[in-house]
Amino acid sequence: MAETPDEQPPGRRWWQGRGRWLPPALAVVVAGVAIGTVTLVSGPDGDKESAAEAGTGIDVSLGTCGRGWSRPHPGTQVFELHNTMDRPAEVHLVNARSGAVYGEVEGLAPGTTRPLRARLGAGTYRFRCLPDDAAAVTGPEVRIGGPAHGSGPAAVPVDQHDLIPPTLAYQKWVGGRMDDLAGATDTLRAKVRSGDLAAARSAWLTAHLLYERMGAAYGTFGDADQAINGTDAGLPGGVDDPGFTGFHRLEQGLWHGGTAAALRPVADRLAKDVHTLRTNWATERMDPLDLGLRAHEILENTLQFELTGRTDYGSGSNLATARANLDGTRAVLTRLRPLLRTRYPHLTALDASLGRLEKLLDAQHEDGRWTPLKDLSRPDRQHIDAATGDALERLADIAAICDVRRTA
Amino acid sequence: MTTADGTERPGNGGAAETAATGGAPGPAPRTGAAAAGRTRRGFLRGAAVAGTAGAAGAVGLVAGQAAHAGADTPAPRAERPVPFHGVHQNGILAAPCRSTAFVSFDVTADARADLADLFRTLTERARFLTGGGAPPPAGITAPPTDSGTLGPEVPAGGLLVTVGVGASLFDDRYGLGPRAPRRLTAMAPFPDDDLDPAWCDGDISVQFCADSQDTVLHALRDIARHTRGGLQVRWRLDGFSSPPRPSGTPRNHMGFKDGTANPDRADRRTMNRLVWAGPPSGEPAWADGGSYQAVRLIRMLVEFWDRVSLTEQERMFGRSRDTGAPLDGNHEHDTPRFAQDPKGDVIPLDSHIRLANPRTADTDRNRILRRSYNYDRGTDSNGNLDMGLLFCSYQQDLQRQFKTVQQRLAGEPLTDYISPFGGGYFYALPGVRNAHDWWGRGLLT
Repeated sequence: MAETPDEQPPGRRWWQGRGRWLPPALAVVVAGVAIGTVTLVSGPDGDKESAAEAGTGIDVSLGTCGRGWSRPHPGTQVFELHNTMDRPAEVHLVNARSGAVYGEVEGLAPGTTRPLRARLGAGTYRFRCLPDDAAAVTGPEVRIGGPAHGSGPAAVPVDQHDLIPPTLAYQKWVGGRMDDLAGATDTLRAKVRSGDLAAARSAWLTAHLLYERMGAAYGTFGDADQAINGTDAGLPGGVDDPGFTGFHRLEQGLWHGGTAAALRPVADRLAKDVHTLRTNWATERMDPLDLGLRAHEILENTLQFELTGRTDYGSGSNLATARANLDGTRAVLTRLRPLLRTRYPHLTALDASLGRLEKLLDAQHEDGRWTPLKDLSRPDRQHIDAATGDALERLADIAAICDVRRTA
Repeated sequence: MTTADGTERPGNGGAAETAATGGAPGPAPRTGAAAAGRTRRGFLRGAAVAGTAGAAGAVGLVAGQAAHAGADTPAPRAERPVPFHGVHQNGILAAPCRSTAFVSFDVTADARADLADLFRTLTERARFLTGGGAPPPAGITAPPTDSGTLGPEVPAGGLLVTVGVGASLFDDRYGLGPRAPRRLTAMAPFPDDDLDPAWCDGDISVQFCADSQDTVLHALRDIARHTRGGLQVRWRLDGFSSPPRPSGTPRNHMGFKDGTANPDRADRRTMNRLVWAGPPSGEPAWADGGSYQAVRLIRMLVEFWDRVSLTEQERMFGRSRDTGAPLDGNHEHDTPRFAQDPKGDVIPLDSHIRLANPRTADTDRNRILRRSYNYDRGTDSNGNLDMGLLFCSYQQDLQRQFKTVQQRLAGEPLTDYISPFGGGYFYALPGVRNAHDWWGRGLLT
């Protein structure tokens, strides 16, 4: 049954849309849909409780998952989870009706105790203990009564099973771009070989943006990414290092007076590496865990390497790359959207945030030319940085929600 | 000081002895945000944007004198939270803390209603951070709500957050022009300045002060995160206040006690006359209880300074380096008697303390409340130490007070050893009155 995730972590950010930001004590909360009713809650609660308060001791074992919760009460509270099994376990605190998780501890080692903090309102809850290599054990239901209290934030966890279809779909989408990419790097190679370096520069941008649109980040393409799109960072010889290959090595030459003869092997190598990537991608298995992470990592890379100009080797195309990365981020989100609709209440605001970034970037693209980063006015640069940062703060939640969790 | 008949008499509460300037241009090394490794997740980067180092500046100094011994010695406020609500912002009169970060932000929000949201968020975060407490859990729906750099429970740590608005906030973006504080302008250079525009002005100033640097940085990081889409750091300078050496007012990087002479902040009448602004001083109603904040980033050329004889140093300031006493006195808080030294035989006529605060009836109204810090930010392009003064003063009227004092200091001998390179004028907002109030409410509603 669908659970409306209760709310954002209190006090997360201002830009939820006008007036959406509310201090925790005043937060209007849609509590767990217990018996098909929606409970509106407001008012003070236990937020002022000290994190140092003595927590409720909870037993984590095969036979007694959740034992020890003897005095249920609403508010923000700490549970001290103690694993008495011979193996590590994952522990969730769940709403017994909706299955929404209010808190988790992963990798709770045998014999150890770790705290779990959660904010609980009226409702029925229980612990779920998930020992390594063993089936989940569900603890007894515990009812918190009394006046309705704000609870959350919480979300129904996403498991491996949920993530496989979108991951396959995403992988297929990436695979579908491979032919275009290989064609574009072949064209680039041909232009370099023909000696028409002006045409090569144009072909370079086309090919590079195709690649960037595919959302390569953090090893989606493994070592191939370093060969195809790496910088000279970490190379003893810098831009002259023989290990410096791919788009940026070619960019360095094309925009710094490199000769066609000198660039020919670089373009050959790039085309070859892309063909290899295409071949390998067909048999690649993307880890479903990575899909949620990509949702924010692509733009994290944009902020770190493009919007700082770190990856500029002369083309001045960082903003074009940023725009391509935004497309790549959306390609991930599109696949995750069905999972997010019931778990993440701020999709509309996220879309608006990404739309704002898109508009700001597109404003720097005129007559087929992108403004080089260094030519941006200070306010324009601040707006782009702010919009990217705003999107990232939101996308980080997507990654958290789409972390793979066991449910059985 | 106020006499029995209620008139003000100079002589106590040193005047504004502020910074001067000198124009030693320095190259401005650009530290690009070069990125190296590919570690995951790096929100912190956002908070550290002030990357470009523009070090060209002259500096100003301070050597105060007079009254209220020890009143401004920074003292840890321990874990006890400083009350957040009040008619005035509590960071204005408070003695300097050990650690500070002064941050100028530009606003990137699109509309006035978004700007109001931004100020509400700023207020909420400052209210939480200055009071301390346990950050709310995020469950599985988000990364942790707090950076954790202060441990699982955020201690108040003596934190003060002081917010001001710059002249640029009143441009045509938000339609606030008609509501601008009457005397608020961008900072025009003084003759001895060498200003780098990248280090000047800004839409909003936020000063964080606390007992320790981790508390300051935690608060900065928290507020930057919560305002990510709406504020961008324009420039930022961190500072510190030294412990008394060996006693009295803390020293600056030139070895002189800095801030001895300040008006008596415990004297309400004096504060109302010199610090607080509002309708009685010609400001709009919303501005009641605020104050003009003048910030100057003043590089001190310490290597050069260290090659100057002690006598010359002391004659430039007009004070003894060891004790802080005026050259015609014996103790830090002795009042200089300029009238008895009309030719400047003892305290030169162009010495810093004499120009800054001539201690005449005419100049008493020019006095300012200084809240300066030392800064240190590594080395410059030729290997010299890049350190100086994060000068900050509060006053009722920029022209009558800070600018007038600054004009008197033009060309003082000290200008050769300092270089002001940045800063700005801001209007420190009225205090947040209660749990329902927020910074800028009167301005934006």
